[in-house]
Amino acid sequence: MLAMMAFFFVPVAVVVLYSFLTGDLFTVSRPVTMANYNDVFTIPVHRTLAWNSLIIGTIVATLTAAIGLPVAYWLHFSAGRWATPVLSLIVASMFAGYLVRIYAWRTVLGTNGVVNSSLERLGLIDEPLGFLIFSRTSVTIAELHLMLPFAVVMLFAAIRPIRSDHLEAAEDMGAGPLARWRRVILPLMAAPLATTWTFVFIISSSDFVTPQFLGGVRGQLIGTQVNRYFRESGDYGRGAALAIVMILFYVMLWFAIQGALKLARLNRIEWD
Amino acid sequence: MNQTRRSRPTLVVTVLALLFLFVPLGIVILFSFHATNSLTPPFEGFSFDWYREVLNDPAIRSGVSTSLRIATLTAVSTLIFGTAAAYGVSRTRGRAGGAYSALFLLPMAMPGLILGIALLSFFSSQSISLSTMTVVIAHSVFVAPVFFIIARTALDRIDERQLEAAADLGAAPGYRFRKIILPQVLPVLLAGAAMAFVISFDEFVVTFFVIGNESTLPLVIFSRLRRTIDPSINAISSLLLFVNLAFWLVALIYAIRLEARRRRDLAGQKEG
Amino acid sequence: MRSGSRLAAAAILLARKKDEHVSTQLAIENLTHRFGNNEVLTDVNLNVKRGEFLTFLGPSGCGKTTTLRAIAGFLAPTEGRILLDGQDITGLAPHRRPVNMVFQQSTLFPHLDVGQNIAFGLQIKKLSKAEIAESVEEVLHLVKLEGFERRRSTELSGGQRQRVNLARAIVNRPEVLLLDEPLSALDLKIRLDMEVELRRLHRELGATFVYVTHDQREALALSDRIAVFNDGRIEQLDTAERLYREPNSQFAASFVGDANVFAIDVVSADGDAVITSDGLRLPVKSTGEVSGPHWLVVRPEDVRFDVGQQSVEATIMDAAFRGASITYRADCAALDSSVKAEIPDNLTASTIGAQVGVSWDAQRARLLPRGDS
Repeated sequence: MLAMMAFFFVPVAVVVLYSFLTGDLFTVSRPVTMANYNDVFTIPVHRTLAWNSLIIGTIVATLTAAIGLPVAYWLHFSAGRWATPVLSLIVASMFAGYLVRIYAWRTVLGTNGVVNSSLERLGLIDEPLGFLIFSRTSVTIAELHLMLPFAVVMLFAAIRPIRSDHLEAAEDMGAGPLARWRRVILPLMAAPLATTWTFVFIISSSDFVTPQFLGGVRGQLIGTQVNRYFRESGDYGRGAALAIVMILFYVMLWFAIQGALKLARLNRIEWD
Repeated sequence: MNQTRRSRPTLVVTVLALLFLFVPLGIVILFSFHATNSLTPPFEGFSFDWYREVLNDPAIRSGVSTSLRIATLTAVSTLIFGTAAAYGVSRTRGRAGGAYSALFLLPMAMPGLILGIALLSFFSSQSISLSTMTVVIAHSVFVAPVFFIIARTALDRIDERQLEAAADLGAAPGYRFRKIILPQVLPVLLAGAAMAFVISFDEFVVTFFVIGNESTLPLVIFSRLRRTIDPSINAISSLLLFVNLAFWLVALIYAIRLEARRRRDLAGQKEG
Repeated sequence: MRSGSRLAAAAILLARKKDEHVSTQLAIENLTHRFGNNEVLTDVNLNVKRGEFLTFLGPSGCGKTTTLRAIAGFLAPTEGRILLDGQDITGLAPHRRPVNMVFQQSTLFPHLDVGQNIAFGLQIKKLSKAEIAESVEEVLHLVKLEGFERRRSTELSGGQRQRVNLARAIVNRPEVLLLDEPLSALDLKIRLDMEVELRRLHRELGATFVYVTHDQREALALSDRIAVFNDGRIEQLDTAERLYREPNSQFAASFVGDANVFAIDVVSADGDAVITSDGLRLPVKSTGEVSGPHWLVVRPEDVRFDVGQQSVEATIMDAAFRGASITYRADCAALDSSVKAEIPDNLTASTIGAQVGVSWDAQRARLLPRGDS
C-alpha cells in the first residue's frame, strides 16, 4: 500500500525534476546557464505582464473575498433552509466549464454584445463602450466570475464554527452590526480570508486562457508569456525560468501573508 | 441551535452575486436557440438548428469520445490508486500520516499552468510522446488530491471498534479490508470516482499542454472559439452544462439517500 | 426606530436613578409570540423584583427560553411589551439594552484571551484602559479566577469557561442578568459547585438574575421565586417553598419535585380526610366542603408503610437503594396507580412482593381540582 503511495510522488518529483532543467536550452543543447533567469528579469514585456498580473490578481482576489464573505455569512447565518439550494446553485455555476464561462463574457461584453447593444438601444450611448472588451476590465470581470464560487465555498467552510450564539453574545454586550463585523467576524475569518485571497490571486494571475480571449493587447497576463514560450516558440528554458520565478513569488507571497497573520495573532483559531 | 439572523445587506450581496454568476450563462443558453447567426440582441427566433449542427459535427463527436475515454481511464485509475493511497495513509499513525497528506494536496494548490508545463517538461525530458495516456496521467495527478480528501474522510469515519471486533473474531487485515471497510466506503469512493470523471471531462488547461494529436471536447471548443464566434458554441456549451448538471444531480440524490440510510443504521445501532 | 431607541436607552438610565426604591424592575406585559402558525407564548405576564433570583422552569419547548430571549432583545414578540424600570424596551436592539445574557453553550471568542473576552463590552463602551483593566481584575476575583487574564478558552475546563462567560456578562453591570441554562452542559459535580457559586455571586452582586432551566432541583436550590412555564403560559409563580408545598396544578405538582398524583372522585369530606367514590378514606388537609373529580397530591418522602390506622393496600414492586433512603414503588389496586415512597433507610426494610399499608400525614397531602383535560 505504501508503495502505491509512492506513485503519487511522481508529480511532485516532476516539478522538482524540471527545475533542474530551467538552466538548459532545451531543444538545442544543454549547457546549464543562468541566462534564462537573467532574461526573465530584463525583458521588458515580462515586466509589463508581471505588473498587469499583479494588479488584476489583486483586484480579483480582493473583490472575490469582499463579495464571498457576505455570501458565506448569509449562507451560514441567514439562509436557513435556503442554504443548501443556494450553495448548490453557486457550485453548479462551475459546471458550465471554464471555457464556456469565458465565452459567455465574450458575448456579453463584446462590441456587439449584450451590454453594448442594450445600452445603444436604450439610447444611453452612441458607440460601443471600448473598455468593456479586450481590456484589463474584461479580464478582471471574467476572472471574478470564475473565482467567486471557489471563494464562497472556501469561506463558507471556514465560517461554520462561528455560531449565532457568538454574535448574539457580542450583540448582548453592546456591539452593533459594524462592531460585530470588526471585532468578531473579521478577526475570526482573517486566516481563511487570507488563504482564499492568496488562492484566488494565484489562480487568476496565472491564467492565460482568459487573457487570450478577453484580454486584447492590454489585458495579457504573465501566464500568457509562459504559454507562448512553451507552446509557440519552444523555448522551454526561458518558459521554465519564468514559471519558477512566478512560483517563487507566489511562495514568498504566501509566507508574507501567513507571517502578517501570525503577527496579528490571527493565524490559527482554536475552537473549544 | 443555530438561530437564523436576518441580514438584509448580505442577502442583497448574495442575490447580486447569483445574478452575476448566472445571467451570462443564461444568455449563452438563450442564444444557443437563436434562429440566426448573430449573438447580439434582440433575440430573433427560436430554433434547434445549432444543436443539430453541433451534434452532427464529426470534430465534436470525436472530441466527446476522446474525452469520455480519458475521463473513464482517469476515474478508474484514481479509484484504484487513490483508495490505496488513502488507505495506506489512514493506517499510518501520527506525524508521518500528516506529512504525506500535506504533500498529496500539493497538485491541487498549483495553478493548471504550472502543472501543465511541469508535466510537459517531464514527458519531453523522458522522450515520452504526448498522447491520451499522458493526459490520463496528468488528469489523475490533478484529481488525486480531491479524491484523496474524500477517501480519507470516508475511511476515517469507519469505527475502529468494528475492525477490532473483526480481528477478535479471526479476520486478517486483507479480509477486514474487503469485507468491512470496502463495503462501507465503496459508495463514497464511487462518488469520488464520478467526480474525477467529471473533472477530467471538463479539464482544459493541463490537457492543453500534454495532449498529443487528439482533442478532448474542451480543446475542440477552444479551437472553435478561436476560429468563429457563432451560436454553435453556445449550443455545445449548453449541452455540456446540462450533461454536467444531470450527472451531478444524480450523484447528489444518490449521496443524500446514502447518507440518510447511513444515519438510520447508526441511530438504530445506538439505541439497540 | 433608531433615534427612538437611543432615547429609550437614555430614559432607562435616568429612570434607574429616580426609581431605585421601586421594587418591580422588569415588567413583562401580555407577551405573546408566534412562529408562523405555532403559538409558543400566550399572554405571559410577569413582574421581576429588583435584586431577586427568578427562575423560569419548565420542560423543553414550553416558552421559557423564548421569553428570556425576548427580554434580551433577540426576539421581537408578536404581541406584548417589556418594560425595564417603567421604560418600554420592546423595540430596543439587544446591543442597546442594559441587560446581559449568559448562554447555554460557552460563547467565548476564540481569537481573544480571557481578559480580552471580558473586556469586550467595556471596550465598546469606550472606557479607559485603566478602568477596563481594573474591572476585569475585579470580576475575575469575583468568579474566583484571579490571574486568568492571559489564558485562552481552550486552556480552561468546562466550569472555568462558564465562569468566564459569567464574568464577561457581569462586568458590564447589567440591570438584569439573564442566564439560559448555563449549567446544563456541565458534569453533575461541577454543576453542583457552580450552583453554590451562582448563589454567592447573586448575594455579592445584589443584581437581578433571571434564570432558565428545566432542572427543577436546580430551580428549587437557586431561586427566590420560580415561574413554572407550561406550553407557553405561566402555570404558577411563587417562592420555591410555596411552589413545592402548595402546587396549584397537577402539572406544577408533578414537575416541581417528585409527586404522587392520584386521580380521585370525592364524594364528601370528613375532617382531615376525604371519602372517594370507591369508598376509600384518604388523609388530606381539610379544606371544607369538596366533591367531584380531584387530584390528590402527596410527595414520596411523606409516604409511609404500615403506620397508623388509615391506609390503603399496596404491593411492593420495586425497591431502589438511594443511600440515605430507599425509593419504593408499590402497586395500589384501589388507587389504580403505583405509589412512590421515599422512606429513610433506618425506618423500614420491606421486600419486593410484600403487602403493605400505604398512608401519609394529612397535612402533607393536597387536593387539587381536576378539570376535563
